[in-house]
Amino acid sequence: MTDVSASQGAPDPAGTGIDTTVPHSARIWNYWLGGKDNYAVDREAGDQYKEIFPGIAVVARTSRGFLTRAVRYLAGEAGIRQFLDIGTGLPTADNTHQVAQAVAPESRIVYVDNDPLVLAHARALLTSSPEGSCDYLDADIRNPAAILDTAASLLDFTRPIALMLMGIMGHFTDDEAYPIVSALQAGLPSGSYFALYDGADTNEAFNQAQEGYNASGAVPYYLRSPERFRRFFEGLELVEPGVVPLVQWRPDPGTEQAEIYSYGGMGRKP
Amino acid sequence: MSTDQRDGGRAGEALGPTVPRLLVGIQLHRFREAARITPEQAAYEIRASRSKISRMENGLVRFKERDVTDLLTLYGVTDEPTRSTLVTLTRQANTPGWWSKYGDIMADWFEAYLGLETAASVIRTFELQFVHGLFQTEDYARAVTMLGHTSAPADEIERRVSLRLKRQDLLNGPDPPQVWSVIDEGALRRPVGGAAVMRAQLDHLVEMAGLRHVTIQVMPFSRGGHAAAGGSFTVLRFSEPEVPDVVYIEQLTSALYLDKHEDVDHYLEVMNHLSTEALTPASSARFVAEMIRAT
Repeated sequence: MTDVSASQGAPDPAGTGIDTTVPHSARIWNYWLGGKDNYAVDREAGDQYKEIFPGIAVVARTSRGFLTRAVRYLAGEAGIRQFLDIGTGLPTADNTHQVAQAVAPESRIVYVDNDPLVLAHARALLTSSPEGSCDYLDADIRNPAAILDTAASLLDFTRPIALMLMGIMGHFTDDEAYPIVSALQAGLPSGSYFALYDGADTNEAFNQAQEGYNASGAVPYYLRSPERFRRFFEGLELVEPGVVPLVQWRPDPGTEQAEIYSYGGMGRKP
Repeated sequence: MSTDQRDGGRAGEALGPTVPRLLVGIQLHRFREAARITPEQAAYEIRASRSKISRMENGLVRFKERDVTDLLTLYGVTDEPTRSTLVTLTRQANTPGWWSKYGDIMADWFEAYLGLETAASVIRTFELQFVHGLFQTEDYARAVTMLGHTSAPADEIERRVSLRLKRQDLLNGPDPPQVWSVIDEGALRRPVGGAAVMRAQLDHLVEMAGLRHVTIQVMPFSRGGHAAAGGSFTVLRFSEPEVPDVVYIEQLTSALYLDKHEDVDHYLEVMNHLSTEALTPASSARFVAEMIRAT
């Protein structure tokens, strides 16, 4: 277990950075998933959102289901043993290391986030199997070079790595997002994988609810068109069935089919 | 889906009666409100008092199976699977916990805590004065017990110590809770039981921190003032989505149990501040190792 910071020299955050006066994306997500790590401000904002777009709880469940299936595929069929999960979020039922280590206990996971609340929970609750490892990196994705640098001391960059950006690139405009993703992909060895999902702008109520949320003082999140998702995978070999609504990505027999407003996919670096 | 680390419920016996009791209470309350029946009407049906209904709904008393089924009928709950789930829970709620044989030395308010601790999936604690009971060595536990029971005979002290050690079986069981503890540096510096006892206690703490399901974070003096102005407290989380977090605050002769949203929010916020302000688990291990080296 290692705590490392790619942003500052000190391993311990100086301030707590927890603000309970505005909704917080990891906590509101936790609320939609039925979790208990949220405050009144998150529940109110979450309920307002649900009034405009009742499907959001299903979106939240769907995206966790995608993460589970994607990691299971990576650790299983793709044989990946190293995971770089940026934008970890608060712990939920099936976290990356649990899914990966259930398939391959020796899997090594680096969780990256810049939110002190998320990092504190990850260090305490996202703990590795004895055979593998979990490390926690305090870093901002806007500095991909720093993340790659520090990750290189925790993972073996001569072997394939799965880069996971699950529901995080929506926090950035296209101008910011594409260069960040290309820089991260460029730093990975050949044979590495890349998985991403985010919310799509294909539902009017979803768009409206998101606009209201973005006006609340929370860190904004932008919905993208499906075409703009595909750009994240340029230069990669897409894993079947490509960039699709999450429920259509290698669904399990019981996968809920109702929700088609979040998109994602997986690619392999040649 | 729950946010907990663990999905699987524990077997009824290991779980103890507390959470089944809470679950039966929560559901009786929900069904009564849905049927728009007052506590008085419900009390009349089972020939009890209004306050008995309220204690039942808060999970504070044992249930008679007959009372539960009569109330379900009154509330119009005829669905057989629902009724039989509640009857099963009622039977679990009436099974004595492992701690029942210590009833003679244990106050009721502490017995309730043991029930919650045994059933919890995540236990978060802040300790200002002493090392948490789940992490105490036998000698340290004896020293703490003697501080609190100065006039107790030796055999009672030993029974109290044995109860405390028995509690720790929880950490060695097949499906232990995640215990996430923030300890103030003061609790580590205070040589309870003397220097040798304390040193062994610090060694034990380092060993505990190495367990996958135990996290220890030190709040060093160098952090200055911190968020928990009130003192030590514990937040208990249960894997059942319907059961709210419970905040436990121990006093000298009683304890507070808080489970209302506004209270839990506040304590959870303070706990989160403490966890983000304290040293990380890795730095804390180095900090305690350094303390041991310096003694």
